[in-house]
Amino acid sequence: MDEWVDLADMTELARRKKMRVEAAGEAIALFHLAGRVYALQDSCVHKQRSLIKGTVLHGRVICPGHQWRFDPETGEAEDQDVCQPTYAVRVEDGRIYVNPTRPATPVTPLRAESR
Amino acid sequence: MSTEETGIPGTAPSDIVVIGAGQCAAVAARTLRRRGFDGGIQIIGAEPELPYQRPPLSKEYLETGDTDGLFLLTEDWCADKDVQLRLGEPVLGLDPVSGSVRLADDEVRADAVLIATGGRPRTLPGVSGSRVHTLRTRADADRLRDVLVPGARIVVVGAGFIGSEVAATARARGADVVIVEALDTPLRRVLGAEMGAVCGSLHRENGVDLVLGETVDGVTEGSAGVTVTTSGGRRIDADAVVVGIGIEPVTGLAADAGITVADGIVVDEQGRTSLPNVFAAGDVASHFHPLVGGHVRTEHFDSANRLSTAAANAMLGRSQPFVDPHWFWSDQYDVNLQYAGHATSWDEIVVRGSLSDVDFCAFYLSGGAVRAVFAADRGGDVLAAKELIARGVPVSPDVLRDEDVDLFELAMEEVA
Repeated sequence: MDEWVDLADMTELARRKKMRVEAAGEAIALFHLAGRVYALQDSCVHKQRSLIKGTVLHGRVICPGHQWRFDPETGEAEDQDVCQPTYAVRVEDGRIYVNPTRPATPVTPLRAESR
Repeated sequence: MSTEETGIPGTAPSDIVVIGAGQCAAVAARTLRRRGFDGGIQIIGAEPELPYQRPPLSKEYLETGDTDGLFLLTEDWCADKDVQLRLGEPVLGLDPVSGSVRLADDEVRADAVLIATGGRPRTLPGVSGSRVHTLRTRADADRLRDVLVPGARIVVVGAGFIGSEVAATARARGADVVIVEALDTPLRRVLGAEMGAVCGSLHRENGVDLVLGETVDGVTEGSAGVTVTTSGGRRIDADAVVVGIGIEPVTGLAADAGITVADGIVVDEQGRTSLPNVFAAGDVASHFHPLVGGHVRTEHFDSANRLSTAAANAMLGRSQPFVDPHWFWSDQYDVNLQYAGHATSWDEIVVRGSLSDVDFCAFYLSGGAVRAVFAADRGGDVLAAKELIARGVPVSPDVLRDEDVDLFELAMEEVA
């Protein structure tokens, strides 16, 4: 079942660039990047540091703990074999809806180095 | 990216050899294949294992022995990418004319070589035996883990990063820890006295007994353990001693080939040695860095990655020098410590956040500009500070201290 959750105001996110929200017991990091909204699991897959305390640089979400760099769209980590979970995002009437049960894109085991 | 940049004159290499099967080898091999290099790649390593990460050896791997995420390359990847691994085979020589690499029972042709032989731990004269440990390899970590048991008495010699992390991990495993450090604060050489003292407090708060300003005179082994004697006249009984007093770069191979060596193998910001088509990266390389204004030999994961990437690119005629600020982290007692930049002297240290709460970013200022930062659980600040360090423009201390100022906006303002 689809479970879209109303989590944030688009104007506020556009101003703050990033926000930590919660849905279904899961901390979610929202990033506003080049006019688009991305939702990732806040807890880094590497060492569980909070991504929201990191930053966005050159189109990548950078974890504050050990500077792992994630593609905000796919969750793919640069030079790593793992993916940060992402969530589907929908913006409607200035509100941001996230579906914590559905990834932004189908997550398949990506091998970053095989490209 | 353009493929038409030219770095080295002459034809592109057809056979590349990496000496040393660690972080640099893995990164160089990946970079070369990603850039479309389809010639031969051989990785020759003295250690019998697939390339693995060293940072976890004093941290999570030492604590748990969990190999998840430890290895950098798999046999499958190497087979798929036609990267030849020759493990457990020390390189005996490098011919400076032909570039060929000599092994015990073979000679390998190469027209570009990356030397990434790393370092070996310094030891204390006269201090050895089954209860004395150093930490460099996975095997070292496995051996040390066995003695880090609840109630074990561990003496750590040296409060540098390795010693500090070993102490933290030993505490996490329930051992009792005494650190003996020659200087008056931990990490003094890198951080200075003020921030070194902060790290000292962190050790003490976590139950470590810090013995500062004393050196080890000797270690005598008895039937039930060792006794460590110090210059201050202490006699410390212990089950094991961990010597963490730095590494010596393994430069013999390069020196024998006539390559310029000064502390490490001297290279430029693309990893080039004094010998054409021979590169060096990682702990063994003393690299020129524009933000340092000279050569520096670092023992950091990130430097190894960046310099070996630069070297791999340079081999293919692509100029992508390592010029970003240096960066490293150290996880101790659940605190994420990070350092960026390079400063051996400074005018003042400006603290943003709280030292007592171990939640801060300390800026090392020289000539009004940020040269380095040291932070505890402030990785986001460090990322922004790297931008400030890279630009080297003067910043007001009051602005840095002000938590209401967004450091990233500040860094970006300085660009404009």
